[in-house]
Amino acid sequence: MADQEFKGKIEQALDNSTLRGALGRFGEFYEKAREQVYEGYDFQALRDQVAEVKSYAASHLDEMLDQFERAATARGAKVFRAETGEDANRYISELALKHKVKSIVKSKSMASEEIHLNDALAAKGMDVQETDLGEWILQLCHQTPSHMVMPALHMTKEQVADVFTDHLGRINDPDIASLVKTARSELRSKFLEADMGISGANMAIAETGTLMVVTNEGNARLTATLPRIHVFLVGVEKMVPKFEDAGCILQTLPRNATAQAITSYVTMVTGPTPVYMPDGSVRDKELHIVLMDNGRRKMYADDKFKKTFQCIRCASCLNVCPAYQLVGGHVYGHIYTGGIGTILTAFLNEEKFAENPQNLCLQCGKCAEICPGRLDIPEMILELRTRFAQKKGLPFTQKFALDIVANRRLFHSLLRVASLAQKPLTKGQPVIRHLPMFLSGLTEKRSLPAIAPVPFRDIFKSIPQNIKDVKGTAAFYAGCLVDFVYPKIGEGVIAALNDKGYKVVFPEGQSCCGAPAVYMGDKPNAKKSAMLNIEALKAEGVDYVVSACPTCTHALKDSYPALLSGDPAWEERAAVLSRKALDFSKLLADLGGLPEGGDGLPLKVTYHDSCHLKRKMGVYREPRAHLSRTAGIELVEMYESDHCCGFAGSYSIKFPEISAPILEKKIKNIEATGADVVAVDCPGCLMQISGGLDQARSPIKVKHTAEILLEKRHRQKNQKLS
Amino acid sequence: MLNQGERPKNLYEGFREKLTAMAGECSRVRRAEDIAAFLIPFFRENKIRTVGLAESPLTRAGGLRERLQGAGIKVTTDNIRQAAPGVEAGITQLKWGIAELGTLVQIGTNVDQRLLSMLPPLHVALAQTSELVPTVAEALRLIHSLPEIPGFVGFITGPSRTADIERVLTIGVHGPGRFLALLVDEDVREGE
Repeated sequence: MADQEFKGKIEQALDNSTLRGALGRFGEFYEKAREQVYEGYDFQALRDQVAEVKSYAASHLDEMLDQFERAATARGAKVFRAETGEDANRYISELALKHKVKSIVKSKSMASEEIHLNDALAAKGMDVQETDLGEWILQLCHQTPSHMVMPALHMTKEQVADVFTDHLGRINDPDIASLVKTARSELRSKFLEADMGISGANMAIAETGTLMVVTNEGNARLTATLPRIHVFLVGVEKMVPKFEDAGCILQTLPRNATAQAITSYVTMVTGPTPVYMPDGSVRDKELHIVLMDNGRRKMYADDKFKKTFQCIRCASCLNVCPAYQLVGGHVYGHIYTGGIGTILTAFLNEEKFAENPQNLCLQCGKCAEICPGRLDIPEMILELRTRFAQKKGLPFTQKFALDIVANRRLFHSLLRVASLAQKPLTKGQPVIRHLPMFLSGLTEKRSLPAIAPVPFRDIFKSIPQNIKDVKGTAAFYAGCLVDFVYPKIGEGVIAALNDKGYKVVFPEGQSCCGAPAVYMGDKPNAKKSAMLNIEALKAEGVDYVVSACPTCTHALKDSYPALLSGDPAWEERAAVLSRKALDFSKLLADLGGLPEGGDGLPLKVTYHDSCHLKRKMGVYREPRAHLSRTAGIELVEMYESDHCCGFAGSYSIKFPEISAPILEKKIKNIEATGADVVAVDCPGCLMQISGGLDQARSPIKVKHTAEILLEKRHRQKNQKLS
Repeated sequence: MLNQGERPKNLYEGFREKLTAMAGECSRVRRAEDIAAFLIPFFRENKIRTVGLAESPLTRAGGLRERLQGAGIKVTTDNIRQAAPGVEAGITQLKWGIAELGTLVQIGTNVDQRLLSMLPPLHVALAQTSELVPTVAEALRLIHSLPEIPGFVGFITGPSRTADIERVLTIGVHGPGRFLALLVDEDVREGE
């Protein structure tokens, strides 16, 4: 759980309008620009290659390092293996002392920031100059990067002008072109004077001993050309087996990082090249390559974090992260920021520094969708969260709530009590603004629906299922929200499946799917829920298990097999359930979809993609098809329809301050469509969005696809019958 | 094996389109001797009077140094470390062009050639039209097919740029603020 100091940092970041503006503008620009720059390219095939190339190098790391060392040494480079950051700092400092180095120019190297190389060199009396413009600005004002690719993203031109004015002792106007000019001339003289250059690398090619650097400014080229000594500091995860393997990384890194087809420069260094010595003679320079571990192997040895070696440090996971877009990089506390940064911090700095920032992940999966290395960052963050929870336990209130949820009888009777207890609060409205007991945190900054007077499990028995020709049986898994808050969704599911010839059963023993426990890192309670539901649903006896909540479906399909893997009593049953569990819209599509039909009454509908349905199950065409085939419905797309609504389960309780602005943006995008109804396939999104619309006093309604189909198609049937 | 975009029908047109989209300039002449005929008015128009030149097959075949000097332009070919930071343009010959990106590939083993491509505010890059290849994959294969990977290989796509202040694209931070690719159709090989 996030501590107070961390909460304070978030508040500060949210109050910083400069930061919010810069992050917001970049986020808007990035997603579209990235898509455009991939036009004509098969991104999926490219990322498959990246993952293959990088994972091969990782699984043959010693071989790669040896091969690289041999190749680079054969070309005249000196290779040093640094176990730790201190080893690397010591080697580079001693090298500089030995060669009487006074001034050093650096092109961008996150690895050097990770180990505080500048401080180590400054302690030996050396003048160390960052030359990447953003890094230089931060060096002058003693700040850390807020983004891995665009380090000074958080600063305005006015702030930069002030920094330059202080540093240079003369007034600098806040004009970007002239600020850049100033930087050019200041740093140009540094380049010309420097005895040593230090660079990071994006790739180290094992086959040829080549280092590749991808840049826009040209500082890496100058660093590799002017000083008489050149040191590359390279993390061991940068290995790439073959020279031609670089192709897929060159195609994805700039596109994903800054939405460029290629950067202005790619620099490839293989062995020392001739350089001008201070006496004017031309000789081969000294080239040193430091291959640094500093926690990386430990990360690879951990089964759950192996894939971090597939990361090419494009930082696109930051660019699309809804939380990062609001709070920026500094709240992450260390030099590596955003989703991947949280994981890197845990292994390359200290695990405890990741404890707060891991909470920021909404588990929306947007980053996994665009990651060129095919890393599932949300899964890794969830793993960190689970480990923290196992080690330190959850705070009492959270634990208490999760224990209740895992106890079906207690949880369900509490919900029934709540349904009665809320009565004085609802004032006849369909929403309440206060909830009793442990759910009270939910009501901050939005309205919540009232708990249904009669839960679906009680309504179910009275729903007639008239099917002429029964083709099979589906067990309905309702999940808490359908069961106790939105029972009408359940009626819609049954009506649609009956239309397809399937009889629906409601296994009584079912309870919460365990997702809240999973996402808070409470594995024991998550397991309890898994077993309870597997037992209750008895998937072995039905053709399908259908749910109308993608988070629940994801739990049944993916979380249960993972939670119970290796447990002989449960493994097989979990696998059966996983195979048969489908989300409503997907099952309906698999069964052939609904025929053309509907009441024909005009209704403008826009569709919001739930994170779990789109990104965990790849389902987004299906619900749109069901809606489009319903007479009267005009489907209009909203902007950023697959961006998270900010609900993310308990996230909206933990971080209402982040959840609220994410929701606000969603509401704006919905309102801009002019739709009468927002269709969703997730009752969590439904609750969040209807709360937001209610607060905005919008007349737009939110409905589950199943509910809309029921209204538009069965009203017609009823009319026909009468 | 590498995934690539649609192959442009005409390599030069594809190259030019991509390079100009990256704020680079691009022109094409038929013969090596046309280089000077193109550059002299170009320099005059841009008030460029001093250039640093890294001699290469194309510059020699085109008699570039003599022709530029004849037009009153001061041409420096030696003492480049001292001269390069001060000249108004650097002229170098680069090796291949990559049509899918608008990129020129620099074999930069020669330090003077490299300095002239980096330090002056304008970089004029000469290359042979016949050395255009469609894709990055092809270029990597060609580099790898050399007897050894050259000590310094640079991909250059337009001028030096930064967006580090407020995400505003600004041209010419550490490297050249202008980049002109001049492609020559005539095939010139050393020794001919």
